[in-house]
Amino acid sequence: MAAVEPILRPGFRPRRRGRRGYVRLRAMPIGDRLALGALALVTLLALLGPTLAPHDPLSAAGPANHPPSFTYPLGTDEVGRDMFSRVLTGLQSTWLAAFGVIAAGVLIGGGIGVIAGTLGGWADSVLMRVTDVFLALPPSILAIAVVTAIGPSLFHTLLAVAIFWWPYYARLVRAETRSLVVRPHMVAARLSGAGWWRRLFRHLLPGTFPTVIVAASLDISNLILLLAALSFLGLGAQAPAPELGSMTAAGLSSLLTSWWIPVMPALAIFVLSLVGNLSGDAIRDMVERG
Amino acid sequence: MSVADGHDGGGGTVGLAEPSPGRPAERGDVVAEAKGLDVFLTRDGREGHVLRGIDLEIRAGEIVSLVGESGSGKTMLAMSLLGLLPASASPRVEGKVNVAGVDMIGGDPARLEDVRRRRLGAVFQDPMSSLDPTMRVRGHLREVVDNDGDAIELLRAVGVPDPRRRLRAFPHELSGGLRQRVMIALAIAGEPSLIVADEPTTALDVTVQAQILDLLTRLCAEVGSSLLLVTHDLGVASQIAQRAIVLYGGRIAEEAPIDQLVRAPRHPYPAALLRSRLDIETDPSRPLPSLDGDPPNPGDLPPGCPFAPRCEFARPDCELAPPPLRPSAPDRSDACIRRDELDLRPAEVEVEPWTPPLVDRDHAALRADDLHVSVATGTLWRKHRVDILKGVDLRLDAGECVALVGESGSGKTTLINAVAHLVPASEGNLEVDDPAPQMVFQDAGASLTPWMSIRELIGERLRAGGVPRRERAERVAEVIAEVGLPPWVAAAKPSQLSGGQRQRVAIARAIAVPPRLLLCDEPTSALDVSVAAGILNLLGRLRRRLKLAVVFVTHDIAVARMVADRVAVMYLGRIVECGPAGRVIDAPVHPYTRALISAIPGSRGERIRADGPAPSLFDPPSGCAFHPRCPQAREGCAVRTPADQPESGSQQHWIDCVLAEDGSHDGRG
Amino acid sequence: MIAFVLRRVVAMVVVLLVLAAIVFALQEISPVEPVRVKVGEAASKSVVEAERKRLGYDDPLPQRYLDYVEGAAQGNLQTSLRTRQPVASDIGHYLPASIELVLAALVIGVPLSLLFGIAGALRLRGSGVLRTVLFVLAAAPAFLLGIAGILIFYRDLHWLPASGRTSIINPPTGPTGLLVIDGLLRGEPNVTVNSLEHLVMPAFALALVPAVAVGRVLRGSLMANLRTEQVRAARARGLSRWRIVSRHGLRNAAGPTLAMGGLMFGVVFSGLTIVETVFAWPGIGLYVAQSIPKGDFPAIGGVTLLVGAAYVIINTTVDLLQGLADPRIRKDL
Repeated sequence: MAAVEPILRPGFRPRRRGRRGYVRLRAMPIGDRLALGALALVTLLALLGPTLAPHDPLSAAGPANHPPSFTYPLGTDEVGRDMFSRVLTGLQSTWLAAFGVIAAGVLIGGGIGVIAGTLGGWADSVLMRVTDVFLALPPSILAIAVVTAIGPSLFHTLLAVAIFWWPYYARLVRAETRSLVVRPHMVAARLSGAGWWRRLFRHLLPGTFPTVIVAASLDISNLILLLAALSFLGLGAQAPAPELGSMTAAGLSSLLTSWWIPVMPALAIFVLSLVGNLSGDAIRDMVERG
Repeated sequence: MSVADGHDGGGGTVGLAEPSPGRPAERGDVVAEAKGLDVFLTRDGREGHVLRGIDLEIRAGEIVSLVGESGSGKTMLAMSLLGLLPASASPRVEGKVNVAGVDMIGGDPARLEDVRRRRLGAVFQDPMSSLDPTMRVRGHLREVVDNDGDAIELLRAVGVPDPRRRLRAFPHELSGGLRQRVMIALAIAGEPSLIVADEPTTALDVTVQAQILDLLTRLCAEVGSSLLLVTHDLGVASQIAQRAIVLYGGRIAEEAPIDQLVRAPRHPYPAALLRSRLDIETDPSRPLPSLDGDPPNPGDLPPGCPFAPRCEFARPDCELAPPPLRPSAPDRSDACIRRDELDLRPAEVEVEPWTPPLVDRDHAALRADDLHVSVATGTLWRKHRVDILKGVDLRLDAGECVALVGESGSGKTTLINAVAHLVPASEGNLEVDDPAPQMVFQDAGASLTPWMSIRELIGERLRAGGVPRRERAERVAEVIAEVGLPPWVAAAKPSQLSGGQRQRVAIARAIAVPPRLLLCDEPTSALDVSVAAGILNLLGRLRRRLKLAVVFVTHDIAVARMVADRVAVMYLGRIVECGPAGRVIDAPVHPYTRALISAIPGSRGERIRADGPAPSLFDPPSGCAFHPRCPQAREGCAVRTPADQPESGSQQHWIDCVLAEDGSHDGRG
Repeated sequence: MIAFVLRRVVAMVVVLLVLAAIVFALQEISPVEPVRVKVGEAASKSVVEAERKRLGYDDPLPQRYLDYVEGAAQGNLQTSLRTRQPVASDIGHYLPASIELVLAALVIGVPLSLLFGIAGALRLRGSGVLRTVLFVLAAAPAFLLGIAGILIFYRDLHWLPASGRTSIINPPTGPTGLLVIDGLLRGEPNVTVNSLEHLVMPAFALALVPAVAVGRVLRGSLMANLRTEQVRAARARGLSRWRIVSRHGLRNAAGPTLAMGGLMFGVVFSGLTIVETVFAWPGIGLYVAQSIPKGDFPAIGGVTLLVGAAYVIINTTVDLLQGLADPRIRKDL
């Protein structure tokens, strides 16, 4: 009557549960696709930045206070430097700086989080208490204090921000690690004979990637705004280096006469931050679905 | 009594009479109905046809059971009756659903809320997630009754002991059974015409399950409600339901009074379900007549009869169009085009009996002597030791299979983890004759690393087992075929496989380098009935061929009887009864074992109850741990020291109870 | 319960001490010689050394740290290099303007985030458009909002003033220090109106980013809460939509939302420095912004200590409130 051998009948269709893994691009809503496209474009611009600049951002290229025109798409500043070239250079500086700080935060914070999550016990408690203390401190305020004390420069600013940025990732990764470590697949891997190293890198770490990627991509825009704010206050790269925030600050006095001088760099930051936000959402949608 | 809207369905349905407020539905009134119901839900961007052409009628005072496995649509049908299809799945509905005369699909939201408050009650599977953890019981009850007095009455009615004190409790402070009772109290508060219970006992221990089902039936009779019991388990359904509706692939396969369904099904699916169903009466000497394949995915339905791909009686024209639901008697209908030709009554099945397993009594695969395992809990400051295993003696011979049976808190999972060297023993002796015992977990999906391919997962095991690189690919293909899976599985990732397929993969990994000892932790509890049978058969086959010793943990005695040579019943960290499977299950001696067995649906004899709440590991009773709940407890049980298992002969039937010691029951030997 | 409160308070004190240690350490690192400030550039070496000894600058480090903490607790925050006044009195001078600005930002921001969150979660009509607009605006740096505001509302429309706190020559230095209220209390409503005009743009520029961030958390949390089994069971009992949203939805969403609110306090401060600079608003943000190019660390350190302490205390309070509302949190922590 009924079959006993559990061999599937010849005509039986193989089951596929639909496309899993990272969702193919075609399936994403159009907004997300545009956002990721913008992300790619901006990154490209940032990488190429200065090479695309028509003029030298540091020296005068034309008449001062010239409004936006064909030759000077974003106008010139009060010294005659081409705003377009300066903004492009500043864009590169800001975008790469943001990525750098996030990367440092993820690597340092993530590393600490993994150590705390896997070792547990005493090491975990100590690391987490230190992390909690750093987390409890307001990053922007302290970054200002740190940079003022050690002297303003781009590197110092990035350092100061990174110091207060990693704890967020440490907490995040530690929580993920702790929940992953007790999952059955880790136990199964151990029983299968996988060594400690392999279990960590092949069975555990990839499980943290989705959460970290989503957090980092949503974080980019926060970081960009903070770096811009610090630069505005004079804490980033020093003049005459074209940094978007400091350009805005320096141009404030010309606001009512030559509005493009402070507005253009501010707009550039706006664009970066918006692209960061939108693509962060797109990446999160992608990861959640896949 | 007026006819509200006189629609005429195919079966000549009576138009609904709308009961005036306050008047309960009279016997014979239709309380809820669905006509031509089609539901489409969108998940992951794809639309699935979850319910297809459902016609359903529930009359006053009836107890109807909706039976189906995963993907059958039973939960969505229940949700449709409640008017609560998940908005996140962008539901699209065609057809009608009426409860107490109100259109639950397109109706005005305020009217729907009114119906849910006064006419409907709902009990869901997991009371922990259905109750608000930040609100006390009193708060929950006061949302549906006007004063504390009524609240206490409700709690009393559902059997909550000490109701006044319980009002102040938070949900997480109550046991699972108590939480479910609170849910039931909330459901009956409005004296509803219909209670919808979606797998209300699945998350509970067996001894509590029976209590809850009794409670539901009693309350429905008192209040005059109808009950729609949604379940995957025909056994549970047959305990209390009068009529059963079996769903498969979003369509009704068969509808009949339950005793008729069980005796003589007319649709191949319920017939197969009944055959592959495991209960205490099943003959353990033969493999189960199992059903190939897996239940269908609503997003992926075949064009014809949804059961055709798995049906042994399928003909080419079964795949052309879905068979219509046709009545075969005034109270029966089914959807099979071949029903008049088939005789589906459960007959003597000509299945080859199992060959007896080869047990080597000279070698012990496992030996535990007075094994204790305790864990530390609590914070950095306040540490607490909890004894999970309190002196376990167990001996397993090579090639033998022992089943560890118990409820939550019994320690059976900890014991198996200790054997796998995953938790250290705090006292006592443990010898395992296998350097790398393999384990099959309850949640197969969770035991397979989601981002690794099957080939990589099995390959990892082969590598650790010393299989040289060039042989691995071949061995992977070999072992995948051995567990009955097609070759493409090797390249797949776990998320692309069904539950049954994942479990087979887990088994393949476990036997890729055949161990001497195989540990199984409830490997079939999370699987559909039709799939579980295949897994148990597979394990039986492999165990005999590879001469494995097996420790099989389960809460389900019927499964234990099917797979094991010996059964060890555990309660609160100790083995209370142990012996040959047949003897322990057919002639149990320990009162706990007897309570467990009699709680199983379909078991013979009168019901023996274990009263009261399950014990807590943090505050265990003194002496014999079962004595507070034991119907045969006597003086001395509270101070009794546990007995030692006899050294010789693991074939003995051994009971740790005063009843055995003083010979009031035949015990040892 | 008591244990929980105690633990959080102890943790808070530890963090405050670490904060003070950081500011103290930074002070040590910063290159300015504070003693010279006191005695003047022209003083001779021996005078400087005597002064150092007298003021305790030669004491061992831990001792100096303790002195510093003790001093700070009593309100001594060193002396500004720029204004030559005690930092504490500088702060006292500039603080009311900032408080007024922050309060105005709260008045704008809280309803905005509630609107964003609740309307968004319930998908009320028009909420999609509102959300998109706010979302886009929130990506803008505070100075862009400020600058754009000035260009549009001042230069082009002439509706609002561009800078400063008030155009009135002798504003009351009244009881609260908040011009809007003082104007009313003193019976000079024109002061109030004038202050409000000056307040609108900076308050909006300040409020936007935090409001949207908090609104997003509220929306996400509310949506997640409304999808749970718990809410499904509550709806199955026939509870009204309103009750479900408020009791089962909002109450559970309040926790993460408040937590985010506490965190936003830090963002508000950095926004404050910028907005006050753009609008020439005489508050502590401007004070800090002006101290930076002069390398006036004592001023910045003092403000950091004060604002940082406020941040820590506020967040601890939010944690405690969350623990009070949700018994599970008490157990975990």
